[in-house]
Amino acid sequence: MSEPTGPVLLRFDHASLAYGRARVVEDVHGSVHGGEAVALIGPNGAGKSTLLRAVLGLVDVVSGRIEVLGSTPARARRDVAYVPQVDTLDAQFPVSVGQVVLMGRYRDVGWLRRPGVRDRALADDALEAVGLAERKDDRFGTLSGGQRQRVLLARAIAQQPRLLLLDEPFNGVDAVSQQALLAALRRLQDDGAAVVVSTHDLALAHLACDEVCLLNKHQVAFGPTEATLTPELLRAAYGGQALELAGDSVIVAR
Amino acid sequence: MSLLQDGYARRALIEALLVGALCGLVGVHVVLRRLSFFTMAMTHATFPGVVLAALVGVDLLLGSGLFGVLVVLGVSWLTTRPRSDSAAAVGVVLSAGFALGVALLSAQAGFTRDLSAYLVGSIVTVQTGDLVKTALVLAAVALTLALVGKELVFGAFDRGGMVAAGYPAGRLDLLLLLVVELTVVTSVPAVGTIQAVALIVAPAAAARLWSDRIGPTTALAVLLGMASGVVGLAVSQAYQVAAGAAIVLAACGFFVLSVVVAPVVRGRPVPLGVG
Amino acid sequence: MRYLLEPFGSPFMQRALAEALLLGAVAAVVSVFVVLRRLSFVADVLTHTVFPGVVIGFVVAGTSGIVWGASVFAVLSTVLITVLAGRSRVTEDASMAIVLTGFFAVGVVLVSRQTSFTSDLTAFLFGRILTVDRQQLVVTAVIGAAVLLLLGLLGKELLFRAFDPAGAEARGYRVLALDLVLNLVVALVVVAAVRAVGTVLVIALLVVPGAAGRLLSDRLAGITLIAVGTALLAGWLGLVASWQASVNHGLRLASGATVVLVLVLLYGVAAAIATARKVRA
Repeated sequence: MSEPTGPVLLRFDHASLAYGRARVVEDVHGSVHGGEAVALIGPNGAGKSTLLRAVLGLVDVVSGRIEVLGSTPARARRDVAYVPQVDTLDAQFPVSVGQVVLMGRYRDVGWLRRPGVRDRALADDALEAVGLAERKDDRFGTLSGGQRQRVLLARAIAQQPRLLLLDEPFNGVDAVSQQALLAALRRLQDDGAAVVVSTHDLALAHLACDEVCLLNKHQVAFGPTEATLTPELLRAAYGGQALELAGDSVIVAR
Repeated sequence: MSLLQDGYARRALIEALLVGALCGLVGVHVVLRRLSFFTMAMTHATFPGVVLAALVGVDLLLGSGLFGVLVVLGVSWLTTRPRSDSAAAVGVVLSAGFALGVALLSAQAGFTRDLSAYLVGSIVTVQTGDLVKTALVLAAVALTLALVGKELVFGAFDRGGMVAAGYPAGRLDLLLLLVVELTVVTSVPAVGTIQAVALIVAPAAAARLWSDRIGPTTALAVLLGMASGVVGLAVSQAYQVAAGAAIVLAACGFFVLSVVVAPVVRGRPVPLGVG
Repeated sequence: MRYLLEPFGSPFMQRALAEALLLGAVAAVVSVFVVLRRLSFVADVLTHTVFPGVVIGFVVAGTSGIVWGASVFAVLSTVLITVLAGRSRVTEDASMAIVLTGFFAVGVVLVSRQTSFTSDLTAFLFGRILTVDRQQLVVTAVIGAAVLLLLGLLGKELLFRAFDPAGAEARGYRVLALDLVLNLVVALVVVAAVRAVGTVLVIALLVVPGAAGRLLSDRLAGITLIAVGTALLAGWLGLVASWQASVNHGLRLASGATVVLVLVLLYGVAAAIATARKVRA
């Protein structure tokens, strides 16, 4: 993994998050540079999705700060793209793959206007980047889970974001799609964007991410992947759900 | 109280109490299972049954009841098919039923008067025979719910668990739909179609705001249903307005009151809903 | 063919046809969104909450007041419903049902204090498409144009929200505002339909065409085309049926109801075709 060369695009400054009066995540601290990929790891209910939503400005930060692209989350939202989990979407919905990717351009096209030539070109490139150009006219729901996840990533890419947030994109995804997702993310990073991806897959974190943030309602650790994915820290994060096998190798029960 | 003076007023009062209790009992399950739209559709879809029964000369309750069973089976089948949008299907059935009823009725003379009676009910023209029928239905429904009430609640919260435990969840669902259907068919002549939905949903929804347990909720729903009937009739007499509508407004009033008062009295935030 | 054109010799039938086609087409486009967003119940609620506005408008200003009264209540109830759907303490469908019945009861109470209770009630609830005048046609056309304009301008955002509300929210769209717009569009169709088919039957126009389209097509454009086609066909054939029944068979069938019945029949045909396709595939 190369040294991060980009500027700080996302900074957590001892941020604590709450829904109403209930604090859900405490004391997240760390920064993400352009060109970097950070994995958000923790058990279910740890607050990973909440943290991502806070970066989008949709969750209250009750103490500390979150700085996105040098500004507040709400103001930076134009340049931040979010990729939701694919199974939250209705597979029967009558939209084509191409239409879904084009949705990524809507905000930039603006109200009352139609997408133009450049928008369609960007959408086509994005679809190309995830390797699904030939499925452009098929109904979204006819693709496999992994392929649909790639389409959602293409939608985000079409936005030309500087920061990309992904909510468990590798869940139940086939190997081919996983490769395609990783390749597309790599290209984005090479172009200077930063990526934050929540995942359960430690091997993937090792493979693709420069840094890891271990979360369990509070930050357990935030640092370079090798140094952070240690058995002790994982046990601290997963609260006894982690098993140690053969010294350093750890298997985490979901 | 002038309400008890005349025979027709006395009968109207008894009918209101009976129907209020019946709707309150069933309403708890309707609210639990989010069947409000379905109930709405039932009131519209059974309309042709009433018209047909009148045309053929069969007892209205029996005729519309039988027709209603057909409708329930039809809607159940429609909504269990894969890739079906149940809301749209229910909407189609609702439209079809009501249009059919209107078309059939319009072919008769006295169109508008009969239609109005169906829509707003005619509780003040209720006869002793009708009271007996309502009382019998109330008894039957109360017995049924007493027997399978807790299974129905179980199914509402955790259908998967129920199936896994070996219960015939599908048949229990259907049983409840039929009970709702029977309640609708019995209440509509008294308070009108749309009003029947109010009497089924509002007291139960209000009761739900006061208690988290099924027992007290049911008791309160029955009480509020009956209270709505009494208050509604009184208002209707005093201000010369349609009785069915007055009963509904009373029920809605109790609901709004509960929304405002219950959290204060209970001293804590009201539950966000039932699943 | 003569059978199908015969009824439309007289001006009042021509106006009825124009109203049915205009209204049908606009409602059909809206119904596509109603079906995609599963708004059938919301649409049903809106048809009933507009009713007291219709009565008040009529009481205050006669037949010409109906549309104004309906519009006021359309806006009021749209806001109420959108807010309720966003934050409800009781389950959403129960509170919607209570709003629906409460408003409707207010309307019934108001009507019951009039002497022409029963005939007014049925006119409001089921419309009198055969007594549609040129002014009503203009009203329908204006409202129709406004609806289509709104949908045309905001279509892509409404589609995005319908498909992926979380993604839309993440992208900075205010989902509540978009929902308000769509609910308002539905309420406007109800207002336009009040005189022609009445508040009770308009739900058919707002659900069935879109449902039929969805059965037969997987593309938005296809669904919309089929929905509009179905509504236009139903309007025409429904009027023909009720006229022919009345003139040739002495059977008085309410025109609005007949249109709805034909619409549902066409839905049945669509369902049969869809099932046949699946069986063959």
